[in-house]
Amino acid sequence: MGSGDRYSGFVFNPADLSEDVDVDVERRREILFADANLSRWTLWEVLGLPWNATADAAKAAYLDKVKVFHPDRYGGKRLGSYRGRLERVFRKLTEARDTLGDEPRRAAYARATAPADEFAKLEARKLEDDRRADERRARLSRQNPLLGRVARVAELVQRGKQAFLEGRFSQAANDLQVALTLDPKSVELASLVADARRKAGATRAADHYDRGVSAEVMGRSAAALAAFKEALEADPGNVRAAAAATRVALQLGDVAEARARAEAAVRAGPSIGLAHEALGMVLEAEGQRREAKKALERALELDPRLESAKERLKKLRWSFLG
Amino acid sequence: MSDLDPVIGIDLGTTNSVVATVRDGVPVVIPNRAGQLLTPSIVAIAKNGKRLVGALAKRQAITNAESTVYAAKRLIGRRWGSKEVEDARRALPYALVPGPEGNDVRVQLGGRALAISEISAMVLAELRADAEAWFGRPVRRAVITVPAYFNDGQRQSTKDAGLIAGLEVLRIINEPTSAALAYGFGKQMEKKVVVFDLGGGTFDVSILDIGKSVYDVVAVGGDTYLGGEDFDRRVMDWLTFTFAKENGGIDLRQDKMALQRLRDGAEKAKCELSGSTAASIHLPFLVGGGDGKSALHLAKQLAREKLEELTKDLIDRCVAVTERTLKDAGVRAVQVGEVILVGGMTRMPRVQHAVRELFGKEPCKGVHPDEVVALGAAIQGHALTAPQPKGQEVLLLDVTPQNLGLMVVGGYFSTVIPKNTTVPTSQTHLFTTVQDNQTQVRIAVLQGESERAIDNELLGEFILDGIRPARRGEVSIEVSFDISADGIVGVSARDVVTGQEQSITVTATSGLTEEELRRILDEQRDDLLERKQSERDLGERRGQVLAIVREIEELVPAVTGALERTRFGKDAIQKAEGVLARVRAAVAAGDQAALQAEEESLERTLQLFKGLAATGRPPGR
Repeated sequence: MGSGDRYSGFVFNPADLSEDVDVDVERRREILFADANLSRWTLWEVLGLPWNATADAAKAAYLDKVKVFHPDRYGGKRLGSYRGRLERVFRKLTEARDTLGDEPRRAAYARATAPADEFAKLEARKLEDDRRADERRARLSRQNPLLGRVARVAELVQRGKQAFLEGRFSQAANDLQVALTLDPKSVELASLVADARRKAGATRAADHYDRGVSAEVMGRSAAALAAFKEALEADPGNVRAAAAATRVALQLGDVAEARARAEAAVRAGPSIGLAHEALGMVLEAEGQRREAKKALERALELDPRLESAKERLKKLRWSFLG
Repeated sequence: MSDLDPVIGIDLGTTNSVVATVRDGVPVVIPNRAGQLLTPSIVAIAKNGKRLVGALAKRQAITNAESTVYAAKRLIGRRWGSKEVEDARRALPYALVPGPEGNDVRVQLGGRALAISEISAMVLAELRADAEAWFGRPVRRAVITVPAYFNDGQRQSTKDAGLIAGLEVLRIINEPTSAALAYGFGKQMEKKVVVFDLGGGTFDVSILDIGKSVYDVVAVGGDTYLGGEDFDRRVMDWLTFTFAKENGGIDLRQDKMALQRLRDGAEKAKCELSGSTAASIHLPFLVGGGDGKSALHLAKQLAREKLEELTKDLIDRCVAVTERTLKDAGVRAVQVGEVILVGGMTRMPRVQHAVRELFGKEPCKGVHPDEVVALGAAIQGHALTAPQPKGQEVLLLDVTPQNLGLMVVGGYFSTVIPKNTTVPTSQTHLFTTVQDNQTQVRIAVLQGESERAIDNELLGEFILDGIRPARRGEVSIEVSFDISADGIVGVSARDVVTGQEQSITVTATSGLTEEELRRILDEQRDDLLERKQSERDLGERRGQVLAIVREIEELVPAVTGALERTRFGKDAIQKAEGVLARVRAAVAAGDQAALQAEEESLERTLQLFKGLAATGRPPGR
């Protein structure tokens, strides 16, 4: 890859490129470019990551970057002015890892730095979803069930299975469903359809859920709630989405909505801690402290790693005393 | 690569020190000139005024307790008047005095008050000389290890010691990190590793994430006043207590020579109990009976259970520190992939048992607890000075062990750089003037974990001078705090508006002042010239002596026959053998004085043998 496009618009100082040190020219460009951009870049950009990349991604990127930018990696070499540059970049990398590798700090930083085009993307994705749904409907109506039934079924089943294997579950569900209407007695087909539908629902739900989390991070609670609801429509048994919807609804002050979501969560996952935590939050908001405490304790019993529930319970106990 | 200057790694321990290097890509321990891998960290001025270091100093410690300095590491970088120093003054047989500024600790030795850095420098210089003898050429560059929990003052003083010993200290690295480096060297792995380092004087625990050949320290913890010597002291206390009970209240601690023998006996018994279930301590003629009565002996059996009972709380402290450090790292014991034991004290079965209990797994058996730290230092030294071959690259990312911060209004401690931050690192802090036309700001920089400033270690007081006169609050001074890869703190300041750098004066530090350091280094240069001269002398004399030894050895077969016929024959041969043995030992140890003493008897033996060989020859010549 030519360095021209990677550093497009950046002018290197010839004196820096010709300094008498033991660093090859390509590496010099990399160091000079990073050093010059440190104050302009977000911490994600410092690590070479997209906005809102995960904490684990930040830690992994850090390990790769330090191999280039830690002065100790240049043992026995003359570094001249590059030593100082490397040190500056390394310190910034460490700051980025420390901030973005820590979940609460990462979330705060994400909120503070959410770029305008990410909001736009959020809207665009919704439009894209609608367009795809229309396309599906159109395709369904085009298909004629009366001609070449058997060949058609075989083709649909093959295509559907292929889509299933590739993880395109909605595509698979569609094709197999059409095949099933042509051949309604096939037990194998019926179970395949059910399987694909369930998977498709879960995938769509995960998609909506991620969208909801992004919206929540950007402080758009209403959009987040809508996304979580969509996730639940796609997969009514998604406890994660139900719990998230409860949380956001409470943020919006809609206790009734929150209650409905929390109850749905407990119904869907009676043995999942997250669901009981959601119920606990609603009960606490409704002022039923004793019940709330019970629900949170149940949540912790089911999942001892629920730090948020632990915190909440601790606060609740304190307020009992007060 | 052999034309490059050699680089050594030094584990400067409380009780023993080790020096290592990387040769042909393999880390190896360098034996000292007596052939030992461990050199006792002991310095003494002998009765004849000679300076002794290492095993020679240890050997005469009993008869010369007041002029034998051991465990100097416990005092390095410590403040006069601190609890640690007060404790040491009570327990140590050598005399401690305050430094000229009243801040630091000096040792009264051979009529001079030496800074602890100077004492440690003598050990370092000895190790350096051992390495030079091994390489056959000068050694100037070194990586030196310190306990991870050492603060800025202790690190700075260790670096000074290296400087005084004529070494360029490439890096100060942490002992547990160094051990992990030696453990992981040449292996491909991705796991969390805990280093449990219980040495002679300090306890350290470090948690590392090793992956992609990067050694990323996640958290460190420790106690700079918990180590093997505390275990020894428990045994000594038990011995003195029972001895007093059995002998009408005689306090052995009053007798410095008895105390030193007691210390040796306790240490020996403790070590023995790692391999057996009981040890006997036998110290005949330990102390005079008083009132002209005959001397008293000490003879005791120490069972392993008794030792474990005496030291249970010490091991509990290690476990508590380890648990706290795991919590700091956000790592659960079950996630740990390997536990490495470092330091002689980890040979104690009870310690290994505690580690096994805590982590639910067998600790790693693949490393040598005494040598691993020096080997790691050698690896780091090699990595810092030579381009690394593919697949062997290592990168250490270490952290600062304690919070660095400032004293703020009300005597509270405000953290600027929290502990477990990867170094090198820097942070800035804004100060504004609080009075009209204020030209000075005083900043106290501290290191520690307490919320109250006074409970933390004061690194120094800095006075920001020459601030431009203005109304209060109009001048903002940006102070940058920097922690280097060595873990050493630097402070700089600048006026935010004018961008002008502010001068900073350090008003209090522990250890040597810059002026003193310069003076010592000047003296060292003279010493060095002298040493060079005496080394040359030694070399010449050794050559001559060895030539005589060879000559005598060649005469032995001819002489033996002649001697056996005489009355004094057997005796003479034995005497000659004694002389030869002493000479060889003196040559091996490089002991010039001993050589000189033996030269005469050697010469006499040669003359005798020559005479005998001439008369003993068959007649007819």
